[in-house]
Order: sequence, then structure tokens, then C-alpha cells
Amino acid sequence: MPIPQQLGRGDKMGRGPYEKSGIIRDTGLPPNRPVLEKFEIPFPVEEVKKDDKVSRNILDNDMTIDVELIYLPFGTVESGKFSWHKVTRKVSIEKGGV
Amino acid sequence: MTRLKFIALSALLALPLLTGTLGRDAGAAEAKKATSIDELAKMYDSTGCKECHEGIYRDWEQSIHSRSIFGTGRTAATIKTTVAVGLTSWQYSGVKKPEDVQVKHLMICAKCHLPQLAEATDAVAKEIVKYCYIYTDPKTNDAEHEKAVSMLSKVCINCLICHQRNAITHKWVAGFPQKNEVYGSKDGAHADSAHPVMKKSPIMSESILCGQCHGLGPNFELENPSQCGTLYGSYLWAYRAEGGQESCQECHMKKSNLGHNMQSYRDPGMAKAAVDFKVETLGYQWRDGSKMVPQALVKVEMINRAGHSIPDG
Repeated sequence: MPIPQQLGRGDKMGRGPYEKSGIIRDTGLPPNRPVLEKFEIPFPVEEVKKDDKVSRNILDNDMTIDVELIYLPFGTVESGKFSWHKVTRKVSIEKGGV
Repeated sequence: MTRLKFIALSALLALPLLTGTLGRDAGAAEAKKATSIDELAKMYDSTGCKECHEGIYRDWEQSIHSRSIFGTGRTAATIKTTVAVGLTSWQYSGVKKPEDVQVKHLMICAKCHLPQLAEATDAVAKEIVKYCYIYTDPKTNDAEHEKAVSMLSKVCINCLICHQRNAITHKWVAGFPQKNEVYGSKDGAHADSAHPVMKKSPIMSESILCGQCHGLGPNFELENPSQCGTLYGSYLWAYRAEGGQESCQECHMKKSNLGHNMQSYRDPGMAKAAVDFKVETLGYQWRDGSKMVPQALVKVEMINRAGHSIPDG
């Protein structure tokens, strides 16, 4: 979103329209330009110590990921969001192996 | 003696002619000012439009334009905050209490939310502020609350704002809009006794019509500039400047099939059309020395297809 500058001076964001006069920076989506976001989500694991050696057990090899693009003009995500796009993907990692 | 009488008569005749000329050129600016919300509502009464343009009128009633100073309640609350947090705290504003608010103070909001307030006295500004305070006061009873909503909903961005008052941006070129005229896509007679003249507006399908309110940035014409929307600025510099060719009306009215119920983020169709949204995922196991690190990669590609940055603010 455009981060409005308080009274057109300094580094503080303004609150209401009455004190907004400028833009400090804009984190919004510019028109007609691709914006790529990447997220790395770890699978749940537990670490087990055996014979002074630490190994990892994968607790679940499947993960369901919801990716949602929301518009939040005011308030909190719980109360004020507008859901624009929502995609659900199942991601798996191999069991066993070398 | 006869010559003196002639000069006096000429002067008397010239006065109404001069007044008539000023009225024709300056239009609305010369009209008597409204002294109450009711008078301002009557001055800009567009309920007669419904008789012939019923579908369009019904569409408009669904839009936020039809309740531009009440909004969803948040606009009224922000007007109150503007007074309570802004105006009354500023040393040189001349506002020590809500009752001190004049039209010039409220134009911070009204420039866009109620531009016709420029044709009202300070009493109307005070009345609007009074009802915004009543609406937001938790101690207000139901009847008072309902009355505040009703009063704040009486004046808004209606037919006569876009199709008359704000229908011409370059008034020295195209003339001043007149109270008996409505502006649309063609010239001719108009079957409405209050507005019998129909004129073609040179900007009715141009983005500049919307740009009058939907913002370039700080409003420097005000003694204390405010900034609400910045959409038109983004449209000009981030969209048109990069080769974008569509107008506000093409996306928000025509392609969306919303007509005069022009919506943005609240409408699911507008939301879907605004951003291309593509998601790719990959599960893999990265090796950190002797440890396996299982991860999911989520790649999200978004392309904003609107003619401006999203979100605005």
C-alpha cells in the first residue's frame, strides 16, 4: 500500500486524510508489472538423539497450503478482509529414500 | 435634464444585464447558498432523474457515491476524527470546538465527498459535523443514531454532481455548467422541467471526470492540504505513462457491467479482474550437512491488471 507521509515532511506515516500529504513508499502492486513473491515453509520434524547422533524424523510428508490474496482497507484480517483469490495446493515430500 | 434621465435609465438597464451575464458565465458559484442540509439536498435534488432513468438510478443507489459523507459509517467517523484529532488540535486552524467548523475547514473532506458544500453556508458544515459526532457517540440512542444516518445520507455524490456541477473541468474553454442543464453524451432537449437542456460533456467518458475526486495527492488549493485518494495520480504516472489506454469508466462501469453502481474492492468481479494470481508449489528436501531439511516452496506471481496501483490510499 502507499504509505502516506505525515504532513508532507519527515519519516512518519500519516493517519487520517487530514494529515496525509505525500508518499514515503509504496508496497502495492504496480499496474501491468509482474510481482513475484516466494515463501519457504518447513515441514514439521522432530529431532531424535540416539547414540550421540541427532537425526530428524519427518512428522508429516504431506502439507496442505492455502494461499489467499486479501484486501484489507480497514480493521483486522478477522473482521475486515475482502478475499480476492484463494488457491489450495497439496505438497508432498518423498518417504524413505537413500 | 433629458440627457441625465437617459444616462440614469441606461445605468439601471445595464445592471440587470451585467448581473445576467455574470450568472450565465459563473453559473453555480453565483447562486444563493444553502443554509441547512435540507436546503443543500433540495438544491441538488436528483430524485426526478429516477422517473426516466430508473435502472441507472437504482444502480447508483447501490454505489458508495449515493452515501458519500456517510459511507459505510467509516466516512462519517473519519469526518469526526478530522475535527476531533486534526482541526481542534492545530494552533492556527481557528477551530477550538466542533461548533467552530466552517465550510473551509470541512472542504478537507468535502472537496470530494461533498463538493457542493462550497455552495453552502458555514451552518451546513456545522450541521454535518454535529451529526457525525452524534453518529459516532456510543451514548447516542437508537432514534438519534437513525436520524444522524438519515441526515448524513441526504446529501451525496448524485446525478447532478457528475452530470452537471463537475461535468466540465475546463470552464474557460467549455463554459460554466448551468442549473437548468444536464450533461451527457449528446446535445438536445431534456424531458425534465428542472433541467430542460441536455448538453454533451466533453469529459463524460474521460478519466479526468473521475480524477477530480479520485486524487493526485495533496490538495494544495486548501489552506491546510489533505490527501485522501491518490488513484488518479497513479493512473496518470504508472499506467497511462507506461502505455495503458483504458479509462476509469471502461473498467468500473462498462467491462464490469456495473454501470452506475461503480464499485472497486468490494465487488467480487472487480476483484477477480484486478489481479492475475498464479501459484506454483514444490516439495523438496534440502541437506544441511548431515540433516535433511524438508521444505515447501510456494511461488506466487501477481500481475495487477487495473489502471492504477493496488491498493490505493
